Amino acid sequence: MKGLLKSMATTLSTFARRPVTRKYPEGHKELPERDRAFPILLWDDHIDEPYCTGCHACERACPVECMTVLMKDNPNHESQGGTSRRRKIIDKFWIDYARCMRCNICVEVCNFEAIAMNNTWTGHELSVYDRSDLVMDLPQLLAQHRAGELDEWVADI
Amino acid sequence: MNTELFGFPTVNVWVDAIIRLHLIVGLMTVVVMGLIYIERKIIARFQMRLGPTRTGPLGLLQSLADALKLLGKEDLRPRNADPLIFEFAVYFVFVPVFMAFVAIPFAFDWNVRVLELGLFYVIAISSVNVVGWVMAGWSSDNRYAMIGALRAAAQGISYEVPLILAVLAVAMVAGSLNLNEITGQQGHIPFIVWQPLAFAIFYVAMLAELNRTPFDIPIGESEVVGGPFIEYSGIRWSMFFLAEYAGLFILCLLASAVFLGGWAWPLGEDAGFLWQIVLTSAKTGLLIFSVFWVRVTVPRMRIDQLMAFSWKVLMPLSFALILANGLILVYEWPDVFLLVPNVIGLVLLYVIVEHGVTRRRPRQLARPALEAEAAS
Repeated sequence: MKGLLKSMATTLSTFARRPVTRKYPEGHKELPERDRAFPILLWDDHIDEPYCTGCHACERACPVECMTVLMKDNPNHESQGGTSRRRKIIDKFWIDYARCMRCNICVEVCNFEAIAMNNTWTGHELSVYDRSDLVMDLPQLLAQHRAGELDEWVADI
Repeated sequence: MNTELFGFPTVNVWVDAIIRLHLIVGLMTVVVMGLIYIERKIIARFQMRLGPTRTGPLGLLQSLADALKLLGKEDLRPRNADPLIFEFAVYFVFVPVFMAFVAIPFAFDWNVRVLELGLFYVIAISSVNVVGWVMAGWSSDNRYAMIGALRAAAQGISYEVPLILAVLAVAMVAGSLNLNEITGQQGHIPFIVWQPLAFAIFYVAMLAELNRTPFDIPIGESEVVGGPFIEYSGIRWSMFFLAEYAGLFILCLLASAVFLGGWAWPLGEDAGFLWQIVLTSAKTGLLIFSVFWVRVTVPRMRIDQLMAFSWKVLMPLSFALILANGLILVYEWPDVFLLVPNVIGLVLLYVIVEHGVTRRRPRQLARPALEAEAAS
């Protein structure tokens, strides 16, 4: 009986608490700053070009081979009369999000801190009707950071 | 022959009856749909969830959507089931609950019919549904349904007795079986003050009568997968459901009228009709909330615990209470004396639940006897 009354009090206290349920599509739970969704490329605002030089380090390190990287000479290099000190720059970049296993290795190996794991909800809400739509190209990979829509922690790397 | 219907004086008796019946059925359906919604919401809050939110504002239309879905489903009957009994079982569960509604007072002199033996009538009619349960279980030709029905019968009959005795204790004090009169006497002090033990017994027996947790043994999902209703679908199943919630509503109304002073306490007979309705519904709502609260808290009991609790604890206590009440009333001792057996009984109940019958394991053979049996 004592236990019964105690349990009644316990359930009543849970009744008084706020529900933990989120109405998901309308409201999102706040993600931790080190939340690890899919890798995206970062944008150098000072020179207005990607940080990525297309050095293939991430491509070689990727355990699931989800990346394809093509490099080119940087048309904006100082020697060409440009403003950038990057001799080489990324030409084409594809990441197959369907294949990526979010291991973070590409971020670890990157010499230029040009790639980061997405820590926002857009990195999670990626459902598509066709698998091939999950292969992201360079503009798609750069868009989010370029628009400043990445949470601070990643952007500060 | 003409009668008076809510102030309109000249209405034909049959028209009058039909209107009243439709009022009952309509009100009950709405109340049941509301109750289902409220139960889902409240239990969700108890489990820190939100409950239905998608259908309509705040999920208010959830019950309506469920009802429409159930109406649209096929009304199946298993080939081996007894067609007549299978299909009539629903009405035996459904109709008594609605008939019980007739005598329940909502406000001063405002029931569907004022019956001199109202309390007796309500109790009598609300125990008929056990027949429906057994019919449903038996005719389904399904073992689970059968077991569930037998459990329902055992439980329903066992707990009917303490329920009646508890109500009888109050009727003795009130000196009447007319529900309006019983409620009217509670203008200053509700009967729960004089008869707390009776209320405790009534409450437990009510939970058992309604097959609500912790006494939901007949319909225990994990044991008999829904009990007597296994084979029912669509509208028939929803009628069982309707009857269940209507029963909850009616027994809570009855408890609020008999023990908590219904429309009378604390404002008395002279309070306006609206206030009386508010009082009745507030008390009923409180009771219904407590039923939900118990439901989310207490796990299901074992069948032997259930029967032991009824026959070994509630029954003797309620008999003793009636005996004591009789003594006090016959010798016209002061009202305060009514409290003595009640308090003693409550303490006993507490002690028994704490240490007593229900905690014991089911009777088993002694170890050597078990081994001898295994060897033979």
